[in-house]
Amino acid sequence: MNAKLAWRYRITQVGTALVALAILVQITRIQNSVQAQAILDDTYRYEGEWTIFYPPRGEIFDRNGKLLAGNTIVYEVAVNLQEVENPHTIALATSVHLGLDYATVYDQITNPGAGVVSLVLDDYVSPDRINETKKLMDSLENETSGLGDANRPSLAGLTFNAHLQRSYPENSLASNILGYVNRELRGYYGIEEKYNDQLAGVPVTAWVPLNPNLVEEAPEIRPSATLVLTIDRDIQSAVEQILDESIGTYGAESGTILVMDPQTGDILAMASTPRLNLNEYWNINDIFPGETPFNRAISQAYEPGSVFKILTMASALDAGVVQPGTIFVDTGIFTYGGTNIRNWDGRAWGAQDMIGCLQHSLNVCLAWVATQLGAEDFYRYMQAFGLGHKTGIDLTGEISGRLKLPGDTDWYPVELATNSFGQGVSVTPIQMVMAASAIANKGQMVYPHLLKTIVQDGQVREITAPQIVGWPISEATARTLSEMLAISLENEASDALVEGYRVAGKTGTAQIPTPYGHYDFNQTNASFIGWGPVDEPRFMVYVWLEKPSASIWGSETAAPTFSRIVQRLVVLMDIPPDSVRLQATTGP
Amino acid sequence: MEKIKNLFQTYRQAVWRTQRQWIGLVLILVVVSVMVAGLYLNVTARTALAGRSIQAIREQITENELVNADLATEYANLTSTEVMEQRARTLGFRPVESNELIFLNVQGYLPKPDFRPAAAGQNPANNPLPPEYTESLLDWFGRYLVSSPLDGAQR
Repeated sequence: MNAKLAWRYRITQVGTALVALAILVQITRIQNSVQAQAILDDTYRYEGEWTIFYPPRGEIFDRNGKLLAGNTIVYEVAVNLQEVENPHTIALATSVHLGLDYATVYDQITNPGAGVVSLVLDDYVSPDRINETKKLMDSLENETSGLGDANRPSLAGLTFNAHLQRSYPENSLASNILGYVNRELRGYYGIEEKYNDQLAGVPVTAWVPLNPNLVEEAPEIRPSATLVLTIDRDIQSAVEQILDESIGTYGAESGTILVMDPQTGDILAMASTPRLNLNEYWNINDIFPGETPFNRAISQAYEPGSVFKILTMASALDAGVVQPGTIFVDTGIFTYGGTNIRNWDGRAWGAQDMIGCLQHSLNVCLAWVATQLGAEDFYRYMQAFGLGHKTGIDLTGEISGRLKLPGDTDWYPVELATNSFGQGVSVTPIQMVMAASAIANKGQMVYPHLLKTIVQDGQVREITAPQIVGWPISEATARTLSEMLAISLENEASDALVEGYRVAGKTGTAQIPTPYGHYDFNQTNASFIGWGPVDEPRFMVYVWLEKPSASIWGSETAAPTFSRIVQRLVVLMDIPPDSVRLQATTGP
Repeated sequence: MEKIKNLFQTYRQAVWRTQRQWIGLVLILVVVSVMVAGLYLNVTARTALAGRSIQAIREQITENELVNADLATEYANLTSTEVMEQRARTLGFRPVESNELIFLNVQGYLPKPDFRPAAAGQNPANNPLPPEYTESLLDWFGRYLVSSPLDGAQR
């Protein structure tokens, strides 16, 4: 090779190297330019997305494992604008199958606005309607894919994203207990609100890359808690059915029935009217107009009337002021605090022992008993029974009622006499049940509750064991009073009695106070509280019918309702008749 | 000086040989680069496939969870109180009355145990994968060093 040729080679080499260097410099410059960074930032948006992972809302079971609240699949219908081929077809299909407005959908797709890449057309759509749309989508695809026409009918771009929504298989059953969950996934009322945090779980926000090379470990989502309630679905159903029938039969405005295990505080059933189909919770304002309480058992206080006498008698017996055989001569009137107290029928019942006073529900007698006890002791006992305070039941919306105490500005001496038979004092049904549990349960007052177990990660996290919240009376007093109440029902041949089973209980007929300071004699709250079997109570039932029109008396409305409930309870709870049970206990 | 020049001349490579060596070197570099690139592409492609597979499995898991929840609720719908009562009545059944029941005293009978929900939704983190699936070679070696008794007398 001569020198001239070598020189040319050198020039070519240097030139090529310079060009290569220039290309490298340019590549580096472009890659690090502001525009490149903007493009990188822009592409980062499409590499993945920040997603909030919500654990499925925890299920709610009854005590026997029957699902009361679960989750079901629904769909979000969206449009991926980049894939849309024919907006007209999408608007038409969604208007026909999903009930959307054609013009609105068409306008949304054709004029999406700057930067919009997808649109949500509808949400919470049922699988049935989605399947219809999907079928149409498939048939269009099969029939028109080969046409090559730019305006061919197509649902390309329409997407369906499945997610869960709350579902209540029993519809309105136990609705007053359960509450509901709205579409913002927040629980309202009842168990759903009380245990919202546990049921909702902890959502996790994580970056989900679309680029498979960047796939990361899945975020750890702790499952939500599953709740097992003390409610028995079958008992709840029977109680609601009987309540509705009683309201119809006796022409009551509303009603409440509570069934509790007096030994554990487990609420077996809690029925109240009105009830809401929880799968259509948006009707709540129509079903609960004005200030109608969602659950009367905990949210409506009222003057209980004569069922309250069991607490007065329990206090007096426990204090030793009276004995079951103590004789009181009823003259039909008892004057105290400047007010005359009369019996429900205005009659004088003559000499009565304490059983007779309970059997005939004598206001005069019980007012006398309360005055023998004295205001200080009477109200001390009433407070020990938990009156005037919330029970703390695990439901939202509980109110405390009102127990006026000596020293309060609106308390007058006559209150002692009237309170003794349930006038001038307001309680909720759940308060009455808790207080009376002391009489049925050997003097031990139990905490009424609805949660039996919380289960999370397959582990039992919490068990609500029976809790004793007080000993307002002694075991001996409780047994004595239970016996007195059982005898009084038997002597009276009450409609509350159940063949084969010995029950104790008391009726109540309370006149309703008017806003003008006196009582309405034509409208009453009829109630009954009872338990059984007397020697070993397995159930306590509280019935409250508001303003029954067929009869104003608790003995003619609430008592037979109690009897009907007990007849179902002994079947559903497998409680044999007393004779069989005692024979099995004592042996042949 | 001439001797030295001759010596260099003797051992000097022919021009065509030097050029061939350079070409060979470049070719080797090219081949190595292509091999590295091929290997990189292969690994990247397999990673992408694995990632895509993971994404698909995750989607399947999510879908299965939704379907499971849906089926549990559907089952509850089919066995709800109202439905079961209706079916029972259609079949001619009616609620039994308390006085129609016959109770038998059965020695040793144990009542039904309390209901406990199945361990559905159990957190997989409670059952971690064994280290063979998670640790690197260095981790394994470190674990081996820590766990292996180095003192021969202890063996």
